[in-house]
Formats: sequence, structure tokens, C-alpha cells
Amino acid sequence: MTDGKRKDVIIGEDEAAGWIRDGMVISIGGFLNSSHPMPIIRAIIRNGIKNLTIVGAASAGLETDLLIGAGCAKTVIAPMISGESLAPIGPSFRYFAQRGAIEVVELDEHMYYQGLRAAAELMPSLPWRGGIGTDYAKINPRLKEFDDPVTGERLLAVAAINIDIALIHAAAADPFGNVQHIGTGFGDRAHHRAADRTIVTVDKVIANEEVRANPYRTSIAGVDAVVRAPYGSHPFASPGEYLEDAAHIREYVAAASARLKSGDNGPFDEYLQKYIVEPKNHAAYLTRIGFERILSLYEL
Amino acid sequence: MPPDNDYTNKELMAAFVASEIADGEAVSVGASLPVCRAGILLAHLTHAPNLKVQISFTITNLRNVEVLPAFEFITDWRAGRWAEFLYNHDIGPDLYKRRRQAIFFIGGLQIDAYGNSNLIGIGSDFHHLKMRGPGGVGTASMGTNIGRYYLYTNAHNKQTLTERLDWRSCFGFGDGGADARTRLHLPGGGPRYCITPLCIFDFEETSKRMRLKSLHPGVTLEQVLDHTGFKPVVPDHVPTTPGPTPEQLRLLHERIDTDGVLRRP
Repeated sequence: MTDGKRKDVIIGEDEAAGWIRDGMVISIGGFLNSSHPMPIIRAIIRNGIKNLTIVGAASAGLETDLLIGAGCAKTVIAPMISGESLAPIGPSFRYFAQRGAIEVVELDEHMYYQGLRAAAELMPSLPWRGGIGTDYAKINPRLKEFDDPVTGERLLAVAAINIDIALIHAAAADPFGNVQHIGTGFGDRAHHRAADRTIVTVDKVIANEEVRANPYRTSIAGVDAVVRAPYGSHPFASPGEYLEDAAHIREYVAAASARLKSGDNGPFDEYLQKYIVEPKNHAAYLTRIGFERILSLYEL
Repeated sequence: MPPDNDYTNKELMAAFVASEIADGEAVSVGASLPVCRAGILLAHLTHAPNLKVQISFTITNLRNVEVLPAFEFITDWRAGRWAEFLYNHDIGPDLYKRRRQAIFFIGGLQIDAYGNSNLIGIGSDFHHLKMRGPGGVGTASMGTNIGRYYLYTNAHNKQTLTERLDWRSCFGFGDGGADARTRLHLPGGGPRYCITPLCIFDFEETSKRMRLKSLHPGVTLEQVLDHTGFKPVVPDHVPTTPGPTPEQLRLLHERIDTDGVLRRP
């Protein structure tokens, strides 16, 4: 049934988070300390979602670490999880991985992109050479060595990384799901192509006329849902909009590191309570962070 | 500002990195290895005006940029002010044909005598590592395919420079031998040198085992052997690593490392 009108895809953060169910494969876009769809991440934790397979960015940041720390992850697929100088190795990732409490799918970033590309091409796997002679295939059952049928050279088959829902943060989108990143968009396009559905949080919703005024800037066309979320990447940066909140990220790192160092859950639970459980939505979260802090993230 | 004949060990290492880079090559500048960053930019501002610099998701030429502030995070989008090209990260696998002349820097939790490296973790049980590492990032594929690469570590000790890795995430010369890489049809040339705070190692031609190439000023052979977990090949004569020239130091101080990251103790 149709009323003949083009349908917009803007939905609220709760409705978007409701798409994500126990046991799904989700991906999180961005890169290290930049561009993560944080209102959805926090809602996943508030909703108590479990057993997710999380496809992090090629260099995943501490948003993936936070989901692991909150007990949402069963399996993690990411070539690295780090907060760069703020936390060279994600502390919750370390804590859970060292206990065998999550499954780590070990791969390097170009194996990872071959896996995403295989999914996008509806292929079971794609070949890749990087990693021949290393231990990757011994510890990752999704990588299999084989002899190339054309030349006989030893190669790796990388199993497709199929995603149920890709979660991305970008500067802007129009109501019809035309996304315009500022900056490169990192590997977000590869997530979108490998996913059944894509949700994008945006710092602003722009008019369709604005997209048509500069279609060269559209980075992804036709995503399934757009969630309006100003400062939606906080505490991480959003290119062209605001810088990362290093002080807040340090607060998270201190809480997660306390558990890693001494097994004390207290500081991590306090962090969850203060920033995720009590503020029931993105606006309440920003209120808790405070206007002064938010406005300070423009110091260029 | 220190006098021009007074330099730090990191400035010396940066000068060595610069001496390795030829004009017209392509090279990636990371955020987490400030010595390599400085060395690359030093080459660019001196003998390599046509360097293809890949920095914070841009590819560009920085020859005429007066001062090059260091970014704390690789995602810093303010690098866009210099960009001639912005690239999506997912095109990485498609760039190797054009990276046959490119160079790269690879670190490791562990590096072995044949230049293999480990970023996966420490411990023999993969499911219960004693220390979970960050993950291999792009090192396995870069190490396989890129023209040549340099191993780099700030930690010259027996834990890092070890005879055996717990996990091999990047292939250098495997178990050794001149044909270690060609046997596996690996297109890239492998590691050229290993750069540490004490010395430079190269790889002996037939065994591909690490060999002492030069000692940094004031460092003794015994000191290196005492802090290295494998026995490197030691030639009869080991020269001293040359320090930076006054002009190189001036460029470091005034244009590349204005915050003095390389001069911190």
C-alpha cells in the first residue's frame, strides 16, 4: 500500500536501537577515536542486549571496548581495538579476551576488508595473500589456506563477514537516507555494503535540496534509517563538527583499567550507571556531560 | 632550544629514518611512532621533495608547509587542510600494485631474529593470553606485499627482541634462508632494517638472521648483546650510527617537532 509519497527514513534512537536483538551481527563504523554512533551503542547496553557478534572498524575504538565491557559481546571481529595514546589496547577487550570470555576473530585489516567485500559480492569467501606464513589461519577458523587453482600459489580464503545491521555515524543525511560524511568516512562504506540494513546517526539532518545541490558529496545512498543525533559521536570526534573529548575518554579508560588491573568492577559499573543507565536517552546523556564540556570541543 | 650539536637519541633515530627514504617514494605517516613520523618528514623537507606522503587518511605533498604540527590521534581531520587526496580506508587492499615502491614501519610486542613480529599477544594459549595485544592492524598484509618495511621498537630488551615469538602476526623472513620469502611467493621485499634505541640491525644475506649494522653513539656491543633475547650476527667491524646534521636538527626543531616530543627524556 502506498500513498504515492516518498517515505522518509528518520526514526528515533529508541526505535533504531530496538532493531538490534540478542545474537545479531552488528558493525560499528568510524575509526579509533572518531565517528561512532554512540546513542545507539548506549541504548544497546541499556536494553541489555547479549551475545552480539561485533564487527568493529578496521581499527576499532573504545566504543567496541565499552560494548565488550558491558557484557553485550560474544564474538569480536576487528584487526585492532585501541584508544591510541589514551589506551593503546582496549582495557575491557584485554580483560574479557584474557579470560576467554569473548571469542576473538583474529585477522588483519586487509583480510577484514576482503571478508566484507565477499559479503557485499554474495561470495562465501575471497582469496588474499597477506598473512601467508603467519599464525593467523591457525587461530582463526574463518581463514583457510589453499593453493590457487590458476598458479598453485599458496593463498588464504577469507570467509565472508555478513552483517545484520551496520551502525554508522556521519555529519549529515537527508530524510531519505542520503548520507554525506565530512572527511573520508573511513571504512563505513564497506560496512554498509556488507550489511542487510544500515542505521546512521547524524549530527544534522539536511534538506534533500542540499543533497541535490552537491551530490558528489553523498558517500552512501539509501540507508535504512537516519537518527538525528547532534554530538552523536561524543566522546569521540566527528570530522568537521567537533573534536574528541579526551578527558571523558580518560574517565572511561580509568574505570575499565581498574577492572583489568584488580578485578574491581566498581568503577566500571559506576561509569555505566552515570553515563548510560541513568540518562535514558541522548539528550539526557548530553545534559549529564554538560554544555560547557560539549562547547569546549571546538578548540581548534 | 638546545644547541645544534646537541641531539637526543630519538633525533638520531629520526635522522637514520630520513636517510633511508628516497625521493619519489610513497610512505605512510602514523600517529603512534613519532620518531618515524619525524624521519619521514625530515626526508621530505630535505632530499625528497616528491615524497608521496600518506597522513591521516590523506595523500599529499607537505614540502611547502611551514610548520607541521604533530597530531595526537591518527583520525585528526585537521590534516584535511593539507590534503590533495582523501581516501576511504577500505580501498587499502587495492593499493598494493602502486605500493611496490612504498615503505612502511612495523612495531611489535615481540620481534624475532628473522624479523617476524607479533602484535597478537603474549602467552601460549590463544584463548587465555597472559597479555592480550592490540591486534595485528594491517601488518600481516603490509609485510607480505609492500616494497620494503622497517621494524621499529622503543623497547630494546630480551622480552621484545626474542628468539621465538609466541604468535607470528607478520612474516619477515620466517625461519630464515635467502629464499624465505620467494618460496612463499610473497611479493614484498620484507624488512630491511630493525631500528632500536641502541642500534640498527640488518639481515645477513644467506641466513636472513639479524646482524648488527651500527651502534648508536656511546652504546657498546656488550650492552646490545645483554639486552637482546637472540644472538645476532656480529661482523668484525661495527660502525657508529651517524647523528643528525645541524641543518636536520634545525628542521626538526623549527618545522617538524616544534613540541619537542623527540627531546623529551
